[in-house]
Amino acid sequence: MKQVNNMSELFDRLNDLKAVFRYGQKLIPIIQSIIDFMRDTVPLLEDINHSIADSTSKIPKAQDQITNVSSATELATTEILDLVDSISADIVNIENTFKELQKEEEEKGMLWAQIKSLLPDSAEAAELINKFENGRQFITKSSELIEIFQKIKNDVYNITLSLQVQDITSQQLAAVTHLIESVQKRLASLIVHLDESDLHGFEFQKAYSTKGTTFDPDARYTKSTERQEVADEIINGALNKTSQDEIDKLFS
Amino acid sequence: MALRFLVVDDSVTMRRIVINSLRNLGYDDFIEAADGKEALEKLTADSSINFVITDWNMPVVSGLELVKSIRGDEKLSKLSILMVTTRGVKEDIIEALQAKVNNYIVKPFTPQILKEKIDQIINAA
Repeated sequence: MKQVNNMSELFDRLNDLKAVFRYGQKLIPIIQSIIDFMRDTVPLLEDINHSIADSTSKIPKAQDQITNVSSATELATTEILDLVDSISADIVNIENTFKELQKEEEEKGMLWAQIKSLLPDSAEAAELINKFENGRQFITKSSELIEIFQKIKNDVYNITLSLQVQDITSQQLAAVTHLIESVQKRLASLIVHLDESDLHGFEFQKAYSTKGTTFDPDARYTKSTERQEVADEIINGALNKTSQDEIDKLFS
Repeated sequence: MALRFLVVDDSVTMRRIVINSLRNLGYDDFIEAADGKEALEKLTADSSINFVITDWNMPVVSGLELVKSIRGDEKLSKLSILMVTTRGVKEDIIEALQAKVNNYIVKPFTPQILKEKIDQIINAA
């Protein structure tokens, strides 16, 4: 009886084994597909690795170019400021000289009034006096010229103020460089297993780090007064408080 | 009271713009510093400075750290400080205020705003 049971168990096991083989036969094509897929994927992965290495090696150049743009705009801005300062100084000189001439002309006018009173009362003299006075337009024209000088000075000053854009764009560029640096670090961590030859010309420690430079990533060049109004509201609110404790409570 | 300004900004352009603006407002006494560290050295060496106009984002020692150092120094603590910065978010303004700046300007600034803030500080002193 025991032998019959053993035989029955043996058949059960053989059936199990048969089922495994059948299942295995079904799995073989799937495993083959996986092997084929992996075989196809390897070159793709290598391509991806090479692409990452290539992109990563180009990053320092991109950072370099951004830094160059920043330096160039700073240099150009300095040159513009030099010219603006020079123009401003020239205008002030012209204006001062002009005011001196204006003063001299006023003095001459007073002398002329004295001379006129001494001239004989004749028709010929009156005609010559009229002719002479009509030709003297310096005083009337001078106030117009002073206004023009003032306008030029204002315009030149407005150019100066507009150059604030350089500082703001420099900060925006520094923010971009910082972002690129972060991407570079991520990419570098992806390609650590690559052969060193893939990283030809690329130095991880190249001195493009934005460390040490400071910037405001939200720097904006705008004519809007919205942000200043927010600042005024906060500052004025605090100025009305009498003690630092009150100020701290206001923002806690 | 005659004002002697210390203009602190790592951007040469901004320092020149601020100084041109001060000149346009009739002030003629100013010195410059490129960061907070240089500013502190100049403040320590020159007791005639009575008004500091500072940027926030600067290398070595930032504008905010400069403000805290000034306020923490017995000899310098009474100085007038105007912060001129691109940082315009509420949290930054509050942080500057808690560090005890006297007033705050968001770049780009206009001459009217600069005059208004300087006058406010002078009048409150």
